[in-house]
Amino acid sequence: MLPFESSVVTIISLSTPIILVVIGETITEKSGVINLSIEGTLLITALTAFAVSVTTGSPFLGFLCAGFVGSIAALVIILCDTKLGMDQIAVGFVLTIFLGKLSSFLGKEYVRIPGPYFQKLSIPILKDIPYIGPSFFDQNILVIFSFLMIPLTWYFIEKTRLGLIVKAVGENPVSAENRGINPEKVRIIATVIGGIIIGFGGAAFSLHAKFGWSENHTGNYGWICLAIVIFGGWNPIRAAIGAYSFGVFQIIALKMQSVALGLTQVLPLIPFPLMILTLIFIQRFNRSDRTTSLPKILNAFFGGQSPENIGKPLEKK
Amino acid sequence: MINFNIKNLITSTTQIVLTAIGASLIIILLGASPIEVMTSIFDGAFGRPEKIVKTMLIFLPISLASLALIITFSGGLWNIGIEGQIVLGAIGASWVAKSFLGESVISPYIQLLVGVSMGSAWGLLCGLLKVKFNVHEIFGGLGLYFVGSGTIIYLILGPWSKKGVASTSGTDIFPQASWFPTLTSLNIPALPILIIGIIIISIILFLSFSKLGLKLKATGINPGSTNKFQFSSSGYIYLAFMIGGAIAGLAGVFQASVFYHKLVPSISGGYGFLAILVVLASGKRVIPTLLLTLFFSAMIAGGSQLQLRLNLHSSLISIILSSIVFFWLVVNSTPIKKNITNLLERGRNASL
Repeated sequence: MLPFESSVVTIISLSTPIILVVIGETITEKSGVINLSIEGTLLITALTAFAVSVTTGSPFLGFLCAGFVGSIAALVIILCDTKLGMDQIAVGFVLTIFLGKLSSFLGKEYVRIPGPYFQKLSIPILKDIPYIGPSFFDQNILVIFSFLMIPLTWYFIEKTRLGLIVKAVGENPVSAENRGINPEKVRIIATVIGGIIIGFGGAAFSLHAKFGWSENHTGNYGWICLAIVIFGGWNPIRAAIGAYSFGVFQIIALKMQSVALGLTQVLPLIPFPLMILTLIFIQRFNRSDRTTSLPKILNAFFGGQSPENIGKPLEKK
Repeated sequence: MINFNIKNLITSTTQIVLTAIGASLIIILLGASPIEVMTSIFDGAFGRPEKIVKTMLIFLPISLASLALIITFSGGLWNIGIEGQIVLGAIGASWVAKSFLGESVISPYIQLLVGVSMGSAWGLLCGLLKVKFNVHEIFGGLGLYFVGSGTIIYLILGPWSKKGVASTSGTDIFPQASWFPTLTSLNIPALPILIIGIIIISIILFLSFSKLGLKLKATGINPGSTNKFQFSSSGYIYLAFMIGGAIAGLAGVFQASVFYHKLVPSISGGYGFLAILVVLASGKRVIPTLLLTLFFSAMIAGGSQLQLRLNLHSSLISIILSSIVFFWLVVNSTPIKKNITNLLERGRNASL
């Protein structure tokens, strides 16, 4: 293999679940809803995927069930918001704790056991292209799925009528309603679809990037994903770049372990604060008063605005 | 008037019963018996005097964290970084206990000073990130928490490791002089209880009667309003984070020097997050917060029995607590509450 080639492949591979989660959350937040429960949803969906795939022998079934569980968590949040007028963040936080601990309670029998996994799909000739080949044409279906989701989501949000409707509800639900859109329905659908994709992200942890199950298996990844969405400026492509950067930090920490022996147990923790610091740096460009002074090309890359009505309940007529 | 209060009481009772039914259903779904679980927990929490002291030791940090959150929530801030502020307080206390001061009688008091300052600084940092860098406090707080928990592991395995072998079980036990003085053979932590009493009274006075506290609450309700009245809302964000961080830092000091007598990797014990649950359910009011904290502490203290007695994973406690908070928030949501009141009203009319 070429120098760094294996590292690039590992980064693409490690980032798979994070990409899916940030895409799911981006769709949710575009409609004006915050699904704060990711830290807990990831744990329970990762467990679901692994437990189902061990029991039935079909990782694909595990993957689907994780999506289903993810949609249920999202449905609880959005129904509490639209039907009961409860605070989205509060419900999301309670679910974080509930689902996370539930995964510890239910997952006892699945700790560190082997299970079936997705086979690699090798595409002849293409897989021999340096870097790109092993990264995208010699991976399993999950990695390819996550990779395809990035441009598809971008296209959906920016170029389709449905995407425009979701954005309109996130920005200004009242004027959306005046144009004959039902904001409540849009928010429910967007949040549930987002929840399914977040659930797929959980599955991508336990069936691929961090194979298997242990207590607190995806600990802290959910929080990092939430941060990547916000600082990624609600743009799937930029969020994906954020996810890959986190992969870079992780691989550096991994490589450092053989060099800095005294820090073996601290190094895996370092990517988390480092990611937040990087995002804080990028965030400086996101401030509206700064973006105007940036060169156009930088502005397109770094500038990002939050949906105007994010986290706010719909006003009932 | 009296009639009105009785109506309120009946509504609240109905809400509590509905919450209990909801949480019981969750316990049943997980294959356990709610009655067995609850009797085991309460026996574990209050069965013997030593157990009551243990419950009290758990009550100390959670009540402090809850009080800290009342301040930050009053300022309209989601202080998820509270775990990090607890961690920093514990690091501060351990720093003093491991230094030359550790052997002297003034050690606990210096620990209070250093731990509280470090917790407060960590809170302030979160406020600075919010005001100066436009970073939402949830993520600034989490980032700072990640830094804190990384530091603690580094210290325990590196510079402060046990003599002979570094282990994740924590540092060496602090010298006796660094422990907080206790009363009677039951080791009742008198000084921490006294400090918490003072903090409770101060917070009630601060939020209800001081001009500063009222303005803080105004900032929380509507950040723009304070600017209109020519107060700086960023000033109140700093203030809330500094006070909140200081109180959370105190919780960290107690965790290190009253509970463990050493620094351990999971020093915050997830109590910051539990305190968020408490304050969400209690609606930021001081007295209900304290009562609910007492209930939470008893559940946690008694929960350690579950594994032994009923062979149930200890995570069940947090599952029960979070489902209680969830159902409580549901029955307090406007539409459900209205339905409950209407139903009770109809029931009363029918019986008349």
